[in-house]
Amino acid sequence: MIELKGLTKKFGDFTAVDDLNLRVETGEFFGLLGPNGAGKTTTISMVSTVLLPTSGEILVDGKKLDRKASEQKRKLSVITQEYSMRQDMTMDEVMEYQARLYMLPKREWKPKADELLEFTDLTEYRRRTVRHLSGGMKRKLMICRALLIEPQILLLDEPTAGMDAISRRQMWNLLRRLNERDITIILTTHYMEEAQALCDRVALINRGKLQKLNTPQALIEELGAFAVDETSEDSLKSRYFASREQAIAYLQTADHSAVLRQTTLEDVFVECAGRKLEGGR
Amino acid sequence: MGILTVLWEKWVEFRRDFYKITVAAMISPLMYLIIFGMGIQTTSHGEPYLHFLIPGVVAMSTMTGSFSAIAQNMSVQRLYEKALDQVMVSPTPLWQFILGQVIGGSLRGMYAGGIILLLTMPIRTDLTFNALSLFILFLNGLVFSTIALTLSFLAKSYTDAPRFTSYIITPMSFLCNTFFSTEQMPAGFRQAVSALPLSQSAGMIRAIANGEDPGWVGFAVLAAYLLVFGLLSMNFIYKKKNL
Repeated sequence: MIELKGLTKKFGDFTAVDDLNLRVETGEFFGLLGPNGAGKTTTISMVSTVLLPTSGEILVDGKKLDRKASEQKRKLSVITQEYSMRQDMTMDEVMEYQARLYMLPKREWKPKADELLEFTDLTEYRRRTVRHLSGGMKRKLMICRALLIEPQILLLDEPTAGMDAISRRQMWNLLRRLNERDITIILTTHYMEEAQALCDRVALINRGKLQKLNTPQALIEELGAFAVDETSEDSLKSRYFASREQAIAYLQTADHSAVLRQTTLEDVFVECAGRKLEGGR
Repeated sequence: MGILTVLWEKWVEFRRDFYKITVAAMISPLMYLIIFGMGIQTTSHGEPYLHFLIPGVVAMSTMTGSFSAIAQNMSVQRLYEKALDQVMVSPTPLWQFILGQVIGGSLRGMYAGGIILLLTMPIRTDLTFNALSLFILFLNGLVFSTIALTLSFLAKSYTDAPRFTSYIITPMSFLCNTFFSTEQMPAGFRQAVSALPLSQSAGMIRAIANGEDPGWVGFAVLAAYLLVFGLLSMNFIYKKKNL
């Protein structure tokens, strides 16, 4: 279980994360969503202790997480948005460095590393230095590195960014399997369909503040399970309805070209972030 | 355990860049020895100038070797590669990480100093280098590794590392008892320069080389620098809000 209590991070006058309170239960798949600059990556950086909070605290299984908390840190693995790896190390060296940092014996980590590299189709590139890998390969390597230590809590900061559709689906399957093994997963993503497909609960944050927290389905129902998109010459507007009947009734009165569809988490996100869709989606 | 992890990482880096590291460690000191020691034939205190120069250049090589190994590497890891994040989130105690960096940096400095000692071996100088000399070189390396670590935690961009070298290492290389004795400097300036760690290391190495007692003051000065910058590094890695 991981808990954020009154977590606040300020950079000078700018408040990146503002009094964030969250509790993610063991085995939960949790999504942290928000527009660019919402404070998602800052939150992940505080959990990985690279940034220290201005105020508030992070608890892992009830114990405070800070830079000295080796016992709590052992349970965590982080996949950052950037490729945070030594660029001049080979894949094998990256994996060995990770194993050494977590003080794993070779007989334990070596077969596991082989298995992970095999699973992600990276075995043939294992002697290639990181700087000579493609973006997708680096991303896969970061996942291998994070899983090598068999974490209890996995934090993923936009893990599928830059991946092709097939790799993304493979990643979703992998994350689902990990979650089935009771690993707590906290995911930040820009892909709303990803959050909707994977997460048990999601938190929507904007300008560092928690806006909404619930299951994706509950958030969708709160907005209205059915949407009517009206397209005029210069804009697209969506209206939301609790029932299909209400939506159809509105559709019949609409002046412009209109389409009925099911509301998605992306609609919730757009409404919450106060963004206007202009010129179609 | 964490110390060994960092030393392993340093070893991987050294093994990969062995030729580059070795050549880089040799070029400047060799130039100084050839130009000032052999090209411009002169004497110092009645002895060939080379006898004065070699201990200073060895101490200087240890300094530059240690400093550049840590300053450049840590700045890039922290600000460009973000590879320090991997260390921060791991359970490796951060004091062990710092200690490993400092020892690793010092060993790289000793390697650079050792190369110069090997290269000057064929020159008949009657200079003495013993276990105490090596210990001083190690201590000198530790001091400059902690200085490099502290500065790399202060760096705002990974391009700051070459600037630190220009502002700190280059002036020390020329002023601190390496090419000429600090005794010849004007009062005030002399005391300030003598208090710098390289002046003390070069002075102690030279004293041993000439069969004299290095005294204890130099050890105390180096230990003081090591303590101050060691504590600063520890403070930064544990307390700095935005690493």
